[in-house]
Amino acid sequence: MTSFLTSLLGQLPRRSVALAAALAVLPVVAPGQAEAQSVLTVAQSRDPQNLDPIDTFRVAWGSVASNIFEGLILRNEDLELEPGLATSWEFLDDDTRIRFHLREGVVFHNGEPFNAEAVQYTFERLLGEAGAAGPQRANYTSIDSIEVVDEQTVDFLMNQPDPVLITKLAGYGAMIVPPQYIEEVGEEAFDMHPVGTGPFQVVEYTPTVGLQLARFDGYWNGEAQVDEVNIRFIPEAATRMSELLSGGVDISLDIETNSVETIRNAGNVGLVTVDGPSVTILRFHINEGITQDPRVRRAITMAIDRPTIIEAMLGGLASPIASAQGAGSFGYDMALEPYPFDPEGARALLAEAGVAPRTEITLDMNNSNDTFREISQVIAAYLQAVGLELNIRSHETSVYFNDILANGRTGEMYLFGWGGWTFDFDNTAYLLYHTGERNNPYIDDAHLNALLDLERSTYDRDVREQALQDVAAYANENALDLPLYNTATLYGVNERVQGFVPAPDSRMRYMNISVE
Amino acid sequence: MTDQTQNVKPRVSFRRKYHRFFKFEFIAGIVLTGILGALVLAATWLFPEGGRTVDLMARLTPPFLSWEHPLGTDPLGRDILERVILGGRISFTVGILSAAGAVVLGTVIGLLAGYYRGLWDTLIMRFADIQLALPFILLAITVIAIVGPGTDRIIVLMIVSQWVQYARLVRSSVLSLREREFVQAARSYGLRDRKIIFGHILPNALGPLIILLTLNVANNILLESSLTFLGLGADPQTPTWGGMLSEGRNYIQTAWWVTVFPGVTIMLTVLGLNLLGDWLRDELDPLGRTSR
Repeated sequence: MTSFLTSLLGQLPRRSVALAAALAVLPVVAPGQAEAQSVLTVAQSRDPQNLDPIDTFRVAWGSVASNIFEGLILRNEDLELEPGLATSWEFLDDDTRIRFHLREGVVFHNGEPFNAEAVQYTFERLLGEAGAAGPQRANYTSIDSIEVVDEQTVDFLMNQPDPVLITKLAGYGAMIVPPQYIEEVGEEAFDMHPVGTGPFQVVEYTPTVGLQLARFDGYWNGEAQVDEVNIRFIPEAATRMSELLSGGVDISLDIETNSVETIRNAGNVGLVTVDGPSVTILRFHINEGITQDPRVRRAITMAIDRPTIIEAMLGGLASPIASAQGAGSFGYDMALEPYPFDPEGARALLAEAGVAPRTEITLDMNNSNDTFREISQVIAAYLQAVGLELNIRSHETSVYFNDILANGRTGEMYLFGWGGWTFDFDNTAYLLYHTGERNNPYIDDAHLNALLDLERSTYDRDVREQALQDVAAYANENALDLPLYNTATLYGVNERVQGFVPAPDSRMRYMNISVE
Repeated sequence: MTDQTQNVKPRVSFRRKYHRFFKFEFIAGIVLTGILGALVLAATWLFPEGGRTVDLMARLTPPFLSWEHPLGTDPLGRDILERVILGGRISFTVGILSAAGAVVLGTVIGLLAGYYRGLWDTLIMRFADIQLALPFILLAITVIAIVGPGTDRIIVLMIVSQWVQYARLVRSSVLSLREREFVQAARSYGLRDRKIIFGHILPNALGPLIILLTLNVANNILLESSLTFLGLGADPQTPTWGGMLSEGRNYIQTAWWVTVFPGVTIMLTVLGLNLLGDWLRDELDPLGRTSR
């Protein structure tokens, strides 16, 4: 209570009339026994490290920031696009100009009004110098410039068609930020204590420890059920589980699949699952070693019993896939079948490719993925059955992504997991297969580049869908990677929590949740 | 009077000697280390499969239910007894080789620095001070990030960071020994330095060294387990105690046996070695010169 009051009082000069009125009531409440604060406590594994929308691409950010920020478009828990801070939009001038009509009466947490200037500032910042320092800018470079038409109307001028733009306006980098506040406090202070238009405002962010949010009374779209949300960053899965089971946290995100049994056996905690965008695939080093040969890559895929892994190791909470996307993704092709589990066929293919029995290959992975550490050993056992000896090398996570993977220093196979939050295969396929992408150290294929460029340059859904399905089919045909499974997103929720709706994309909204 | 004392004395001294030699520490230490060591030595012969037989149908079988899996199975259906015993191979290899490497390197450097003194002594000892200030786990994580994970690297890393303790210990013994009469005498006979150092000084500096060595083996077994626990040690398929602990911790609420058995084994091993070390210290260094 005290810290909440202090932060309100500290911001007094910048507050809106509505809040000033709220504060006028405070002296009556504060000295006596204030009514009990309702607090929702949430555990998640990772710290976003930086709360600025343009500086991040972490799911950890998505899990907290939808409570603080909003975009012009809102994507709800059913993954449908709804009007957010824009009430409507229209395509003009041969689709080169998109006009947004903005919502009236919206204010930022510091009292600053939301208007066309804020939208223009947000995108000029994203596409300018500040945005260039972060990872989000690349998603929005189809936007040429922003024109303010009037206070409540703004035009996006496009330099090329961008079929996923409307979805991306609900996404990470496109969250609307307050121009005056940023100019006042500076970029660095904004990273740690940002201000948005969402239902909760930041009280205190302590890196690696937690983030405290308080209800924003001036919110335009209803009122949050709880007074405060206390988000704790707990990297250790076993600790998160203990906190959940003991009631120390109300909701735990990032439940590891191997904890599912524990939750199912617990009386006071429920497991909530929803089909997620996250896929786990093994990628091949297609330029070196025995995996240069597509027959070997196919054989490795056929040697591994993916349905059994899903049943036994993942508690059935995943689906087999034939490409790096789940069934909910745009570009998913029902007709594309995963390679069957066929150890005999795999052995025959390996013999045909001239691979000697007991040939050694290496799998690289990061050390922070407990579930996959187990699965990698099952994979090794399956490969041993067809005559391949698998060495598993695990690396510290940042070393793995920034060096081993980015610089192409992997063995014959390496682990890659991706949550294509747009639920559009474009997001995943482009970074997996297009030449020169940071996460694609090996593949340089003119056919794939052409398909990917085609689907990025048109608004025609049929053309795009066909192109994306062709990408998936081509990758499958050449066994460019080994699609393992599409995991469900898992939440552990205490029974005292009411109104929990699971977010498939991990972008939690705590507004409608209450705690008994 | 004289006769009486002569009659009594040998009996007392014999009993005291007997009592001291077969102290509880010695018996417990030898039994624990001996049994575990013998099992580990026999491991390769007992389990030629190398503890890698995955059986998803038998995953997480509880212990004490069947002769097939007396201590139960892990999340991949592998036999825990088999993996605990095989896991000792890595732990003992790392523990013994790293301590042995460090003791050889540290002793040679310590002998030379202490005997010859001078600029090299100063340089080496200041370097040793710097090295003592670096936390091992931090150093290990950094080095492994650069050269990649592997048991051999961990051994080298431990040698490189632990020779310092031995060097300091030996050097301090040498500093006092080199002034003693028998060393002066040896020098006056015109013996070569090499002969003096290894023939006269080293045997007299050996006691504290052996004690530190036993304690360090135990410590290094723990360190290896910590590194594997962090996912920075051996290939996860290779059975190791730290790796088993790490894999079991997500199941601790539903399948305690996955973590408890390797945990208890680590505890017993370290306990056995520490008891032996304590006993050795009482035997070889009753005045407590060994710094721990």
